[in-house]
Amino acid sequence: MDQSTIVCRCEEINIDEIETAIKMGAETFDDIKRLTRCGMGPCQAKVCMNLVRQLIYDYAGKPLSDIPPARLRMPLKVTRMETLASNDSPSSSSSVISVFNESASNQGGDIREK
Amino acid sequence: METDVLIIGGGPAGLNAAFEPASNGMNVTIIDESFSFGGQLRSQTQYFDHLPRPFNRERGTNLSRKLIDRLLPFDVDFLPQHTFVGKYKDGTIGVSHKNEVIPINAKKVIIATGAAEEAIMFPGWTLPGVMTIGAAQILMNRDRVMPGKDAIIVGSNEFAFDVVQQLKDVGANVHGIVESDSQMRLQNSQKIEAFKNLGIPLYVNASITEAQGKGKVEKVFLGRNGEKINLDVDLICIAGGLMSILEPFEIMDCKLVYNQALGGWIPEYDKHFETSNQSTYVAGNAAGITSIGGILTTGELTGVSVMASLGVLKSEEAAERKRDLWHQLYQIEGIQRPDTYHARLAAIKDFNTSKDRTLTK
Repeated sequence: MDQSTIVCRCEEINIDEIETAIKMGAETFDDIKRLTRCGMGPCQAKVCMNLVRQLIYDYAGKPLSDIPPARLRMPLKVTRMETLASNDSPSSSSSVISVFNESASNQGGDIREK
Repeated sequence: METDVLIIGGGPAGLNAAFEPASNGMNVTIIDESFSFGGQLRSQTQYFDHLPRPFNRERGTNLSRKLIDRLLPFDVDFLPQHTFVGKYKDGTIGVSHKNEVIPINAKKVIIATGAAEEAIMFPGWTLPGVMTIGAAQILMNRDRVMPGKDAIIVGSNEFAFDVVQQLKDVGANVHGIVESDSQMRLQNSQKIEAFKNLGIPLYVNASITEAQGKGKVEKVFLGRNGEKINLDVDLICIAGGLMSILEPFEIMDCKLVYNQALGGWIPEYDKHFETSNQSTYVAGNAAGITSIGGILTTGELTGVSVMASLGVLKSEEAAERKRDLWHQLYQIEGIQRPDTYHARLAAIKDFNTSKDRTLTK
């Protein structure tokens, strides 16, 4: 297939860029994501994830069962900035930012404190 | 907000999972990100066979209405435009609705988020006029918009043929079905006959080499054993099959496993459809891609399991009900999609083995 064919339509990443990432040692979807921004657009890898996994299989010969899905994080869906920013209500647990904080604190950071 | 059972996803699996707990007096909350309930059934005007009791052969749209109507007498909160976005440390579910986030505390959570359609890549596949078969169906049956006048279909599964019929019904020309395999994937002999009567060419051992056009699809090039075929089309429908939606399981800390026959990566679950997270259950296509009969039956099984684990149902009664439902699943999925059924049994067995190993450690 033409190397300029788009794989990730949100970030406009083509086959050539994915294959270059694999040549550089990428073995999973997340490796490719970090190297190219593939899967980091509005759809959050919902369309391209399996296309990329297939390319890793085709190019590196790794079985599909050994290529994990993308790491999926909160918030799961497109959420209004207004909702993300509103943290002044009496019950602070009613905003997404508190959901964010709890997930971030697992990795050693609290968004509110920064 | 407090509820006995929270169901994420108001499609056929979620609605059917709600029935048993709701009709036994439990409070059930069903959330769906869409404006209304029924999931993909809402745009499926095709008839479905091999449905579990109490349903009979029915159009998807009617089935959707029946699934909702039979919940109305009970304590069920339908929350449309409510999206599951995350989980708090204590297990509370974060649900966004317009510009607020509502924490929902549930004794048990059933994830019935269904499946997404797989893409098929070719040069030009990002042009307007290229869409999945499900998107074409939504445009026709829900939004009342013609997706195009001259169509070609990539992929030959049963769903593709249902939508071909619907494209013909709204007056579109279907110029062919392209299948990379050596024969069509459709197995239903009645539908194969009906398709032959439509006189639509079937291109096997073929694939799209390129779609071209200025700002939208105007031309498609097919390759078949070195032969090149080009057709003037304004619509390319991709029938690449389905994959389970995984995001909610990762957020709920459910372990995933790869199972090709069930559609790729799926959550691990036992014969009660309980995932590796004991408060979280799975139903429908999210538990592996199956038929509508399989979706409804696994939904009901999950509903019964949740009741049993909450002590609403006596254990002997629950065991009896589950035996009966597993038998129905065998009769529906085991006959219609034996590969799916056996892959499901094997996956459950593997999960049990790994659980036993953890317990004995």
